[in-house]
Amino acid sequence: MNVFTASTRAAAIAIGALLLSANAAADGKLAIKAGKVVQGPGMPEIDKGVILIENGRIAAIGADVKVPWDATVIDAPKLVAFPGFVEAHSARGMDRPNENIDPAAFLSVRDSIDPVNFYFEDSLRWGITTINIQQGNNCVIAGQGMVVRPMGITIDEMTVKTVSGVKLSATPKAGMSAATQAQALRKAFGDLQRYLEQLVQEKKDGNDRARREALFQGRDLEGENAKGRAMEGSAWKVAGLELIPRGEIDEKQVPLLALVEGKLPAFFYCGRPMDVHRALEVARDNGFLARTTLVISPACYKAADVIAEAGVPVVLEGPVVFTETDPLTGAETEIFVPGELKKKNVRFALSSANTTTESLWFQAAQCVGRGMTKTDAVASVTTIPAEILGLGKQVGSLEVGKAGNVLLFSGEPLSVTSWVEKVVIEGKEAYDRSKDVRVKHLMAGKAPANTQAMGGSASAEKKVVCCEGEDPAEHAKHLEAEAKKKDKGEGEDK
Amino acid sequence: MLTWILGLGGVVAAVPVQASDDHGAQASFAVRAQHLRLFGNEVVHDGVLVVENGKVRYAGDAKRAGEIGHDVIEHDGWLSAGLVACRSYSGTRGDTLEGKRPLTAEARIADVVALDHVDFERALAAGITTMVIAPSAANVVSGATAVVKTHGASFVSREAHLALSFSDSALRFNRYPTSYMAALGELENALARPSGVWKRVADGKLPVLLDAGSRDEIQRAVRFAKDHKLQGALSRAPWAGELADDVKQSGLAVIAGPFDVGTAERSLASVVALAKAGVPLAFGVDAPWNSEEGLRLSAAMCMRAGLDGRTAWESLTSTAAAVAGAGTRVGKLVSGYDADFVLWSGDPLDLTSRVVAVYVDGQRAFGGAE
Amino acid sequence: MSVYFGLAIALLAGAPQEDKDRTSWTISAEWVYTAAGDAIEGGLVTVSDGKIRSVSSGDGGQLQCFAVTPGLVDLSVRIDRGWNAVEQSREVTPEMRVVQALDWFDEGWMREARSGVTTAMVNVSDRNVVGGMSVVVKTAGASPQARTVKADSVLYGAIGSAPSSSNHPAYGRPDDFYSRRPTTRMGVEWEWRKAFYDAALAQRDKSKQVAGTTELQKVLAGEFPLMIQAWTTQDIRTAVFLKEELEREGLGAPRLIVDAAAEAWREPDLLVRTKTPVVLPPFAPQGRTGEGSFFALETAAQLDAKGLLVALSGHGARQVSQRLAYQPGYAMRGGMTFDAALKTVTINPARMVGVDRRVGSLESGKDADLVLWSGKPFELSSAVIGVLVDGRLILDPRQANK
Repeated sequence: MNVFTASTRAAAIAIGALLLSANAAADGKLAIKAGKVVQGPGMPEIDKGVILIENGRIAAIGADVKVPWDATVIDAPKLVAFPGFVEAHSARGMDRPNENIDPAAFLSVRDSIDPVNFYFEDSLRWGITTINIQQGNNCVIAGQGMVVRPMGITIDEMTVKTVSGVKLSATPKAGMSAATQAQALRKAFGDLQRYLEQLVQEKKDGNDRARREALFQGRDLEGENAKGRAMEGSAWKVAGLELIPRGEIDEKQVPLLALVEGKLPAFFYCGRPMDVHRALEVARDNGFLARTTLVISPACYKAADVIAEAGVPVVLEGPVVFTETDPLTGAETEIFVPGELKKKNVRFALSSANTTTESLWFQAAQCVGRGMTKTDAVASVTTIPAEILGLGKQVGSLEVGKAGNVLLFSGEPLSVTSWVEKVVIEGKEAYDRSKDVRVKHLMAGKAPANTQAMGGSASAEKKVVCCEGEDPAEHAKHLEAEAKKKDKGEGEDK
Repeated sequence: MLTWILGLGGVVAAVPVQASDDHGAQASFAVRAQHLRLFGNEVVHDGVLVVENGKVRYAGDAKRAGEIGHDVIEHDGWLSAGLVACRSYSGTRGDTLEGKRPLTAEARIADVVALDHVDFERALAAGITTMVIAPSAANVVSGATAVVKTHGASFVSREAHLALSFSDSALRFNRYPTSYMAALGELENALARPSGVWKRVADGKLPVLLDAGSRDEIQRAVRFAKDHKLQGALSRAPWAGELADDVKQSGLAVIAGPFDVGTAERSLASVVALAKAGVPLAFGVDAPWNSEEGLRLSAAMCMRAGLDGRTAWESLTSTAAAVAGAGTRVGKLVSGYDADFVLWSGDPLDLTSRVVAVYVDGQRAFGGAE
Repeated sequence: MSVYFGLAIALLAGAPQEDKDRTSWTISAEWVYTAAGDAIEGGLVTVSDGKIRSVSSGDGGQLQCFAVTPGLVDLSVRIDRGWNAVEQSREVTPEMRVVQALDWFDEGWMREARSGVTTAMVNVSDRNVVGGMSVVVKTAGASPQARTVKADSVLYGAIGSAPSSSNHPAYGRPDDFYSRRPTTRMGVEWEWRKAFYDAALAQRDKSKQVAGTTELQKVLAGEFPLMIQAWTTQDIRTAVFLKEELEREGLGAPRLIVDAAAEAWREPDLLVRTKTPVVLPPFAPQGRTGEGSFFALETAAQLDAKGLLVALSGHGARQVSQRLAYQPGYAMRGGMTFDAALKTVTINPARMVGVDRRVGSLESGKDADLVLWSGKPFELSSAVIGVLVDGRLILDPRQANK
């Protein structure tokens, strides 16, 4: 029995529901008074600005906003307000990012996301408030991703958008060659087409095998699922699909069908320039080019012309500077990839590198350093990823009507000396640096007393501070006594 | 038991001399060829070479030869001095490396070379009459090189150079020395209080053969030679041309190659740069593991990259002979020199030419009668 | 801030031919940070024949940028020939000079030079207990001789797990020399103490003189510093205690510097009481770094506040964000002031190894090693757009965007 009923899924796919935080109380009002408000890329900055957030959305923003008497106020005259960063594509925060099966579009990251994964805590530290979690790059066709906010202890609390798209990869999965990968991609859609044709043929022959199977699997055949609909594919169609009640279509094929019908976004990974051709070809041949975003490695700047011609946006994975080594002379040339993309008019979003301190602010700052305007650099980590995720009207900048995702920086947002002091997500305070144990640990090396700092690496440091401040001699005696107790099965539990 | 030992000894000690045909026995005769490649870039059309008792008596224009007084062999093709390969491992049967000890200055590759080995027949077939046999470059000090004729089972020299290695192939992970510093230290120590073979090196009586790979290794080798005023040659040194001025100042020659059709442009350009700077050049082969034909091919590849014909030819003959320490005996067709020469079907610098016959010390060593 | 963003990592191939050998320039910037006093707003640096002639107010220089700093100095650049640059047949090899294994052509030098590092110290790797003598070099220049700033600058060695890592106890029949002491930190420390005790003994008994004795004796006499790599707390402790023991026993007074002292934040008083300068490794994203040590972000600020001489290092990082040019930014993130952070990559390291008469600050008479920035130095939103080494242009700020 699958968790999603067919109707919920269809609704989610069709509408792309944006679920506001369940935690935002119906009458919650939050006013943020900041020394400076940076609304977004290319927008005017407001000195001594006020942001009023009601019911999770920005109700007013400006220098002279009237603060309601019942609003909670964050008074931060020395801090700079900034829109929460948007991560357009990430494969972290899950149990395991990659799946073994080749076509696995029926899977969902919802089943894999771990809300207490260190990644979400760390995202807040660096001001990322909206994250598109997708499966990893080592796949052929992987499952569906979702957009989450790094807040909440359950998936439901975290969900911003239940289905954000299907992940595909043009780069050979481990064990595959370019040829077998391409064949696997073609086969997945070829199999879909053959399957649908078989369904139609069986229905015409009066064979109700599909219906029986659906009932056996307990799928919902009522309401919307009882109706058939002609196939809407722009590249290819199967005639007669209107004869088939949608509920009878194998759930494993439904997401791929939605993809071909242009109803689902696609995130297509390209690790090498040659993979770009493959990805665009597959997307074109199956009618979902208009909803495709390429997830590219830095080397793919070489295919910028092809990407620009196809008119698709990209998410750039990895560092913004790509080093090309001449195979004959060994000479190194550094290439600023976003600069190259901009020259060819390719719309791009940046992503945080694997080591989490090289986060989105960091990537944007590097872009400025390499000659990009601040507007373009900031856009690539705020408004552009928001648009890519179909959330352009909800997140990415501080404007009336958008979600109240606000960062408060201790200084200039792209400066290396600035810290994220507070994070507000949809009007609720999600992070406060003064209470962040991990940051204290990173700064001072010692975790504060009676706390345990979480580590990002496999050997997370277990810092158990016992009897801090105790005289060493006394402490030694104490430990001896504890050891004796332990032998007897008693003693402090550490 | 005795037979068994004799049997073994017989393999090593055999020194055959080919005396099969008429010109083999004769050590005085003349060859008249359509084209005679002389010293430098000089080519004489309708030339004659007069051999007396195994030495060159005259080589030049047939009209100016005067009374010859010997049988004249007519050759419808080219005649030139035999080629000199400045690095090879022929006849050693792979026994070139002392694996356990990094410093074997007193070792001599001459003790290992089997002069009757079939490797030398292949060398003859490639037009090579003199070879420098070297120990492996995988030891810091591997011993003395030898210079041999490819026919007649004779050593021109049993101790021609002391072979030293500045390359990382002489360094090991699990044997001393593991570092460049220690290797260099050993060499410095040896010259600080020289004895035996090192004394001959320090006195300038024995040149050195310095194997080096990367540019920093070449730089180190050149610096060492300059500091101690050593004569000799760099061996391999692929991009030495990028340090041409340094190499020139040191007075070292460079034994380049072997190059083949796949060799990178940069390595060939390096040789051209060295020639331009006036560094003496010679070529080496990695025979018997790679073909002896590589000698001529190396020169041809460098010519393709811009090396002039004269330097190319000298690097195969006269300069190579000087680098081998036999510059007064071989490498030129000049009166008094050994009668080592090759009859070719065409210009030896043209790769489509092949060897027709080879003579060493006036004896026919290879090829059929006309 | 980004007015000077005319940046491409244009190799000198794009510069006019005559500029390649030129060693006299005028450089003007909105800010000149000399690392020797106050910053100059609207400053002009005049370079003549490879030396700094003057630093003053002014404008209209041939080369222009937002900010100028002295060329960066990295005492632990780690560009070497790896296994071939450390003599592992013995553990204690003070007589080895790493300059003899230096690859002057390594592409890493260009990478460092283009990233603003103009002076670097190369040390023997930490695979030996006492590796040998280091050399201070310029990252660019006409020849090895021209590039050598100071030969035999420090004696370098390591305390920790690295020197013993390929050794094993004797089992069966050993077929290489790695079957030997030390196999633990205890053994490493034993080697250090034995080396010094033997060297001291050799002063009285000349027959005990072996290779390396002279160098160790000079360290005891304080002729040049002793630099020991010690990442973790216990290793830093061991290094300091070693120095104190040698002093206490009357063997000598070595001038200790600790390299890669990631955990120096834990017991800073040890370093304060012995006035030991420290070289810190590159900052690590989640704190955890070499040999399992934890590198607190505020270490540089904390040690500097206690009056210690602190330098940062880049370890020859390939990744742009890890290079030395950005390390002071991370130190500032950990609480250091800009002026102090600037010193950690300029005058401090120069002073530590005694090359501060030539490099480390923008003062008249010093080498013309300069870094030109497109914005405030060390910010990630700034880039190194120009570099001069001995007055020669290594990176040209005038190259337009391609």
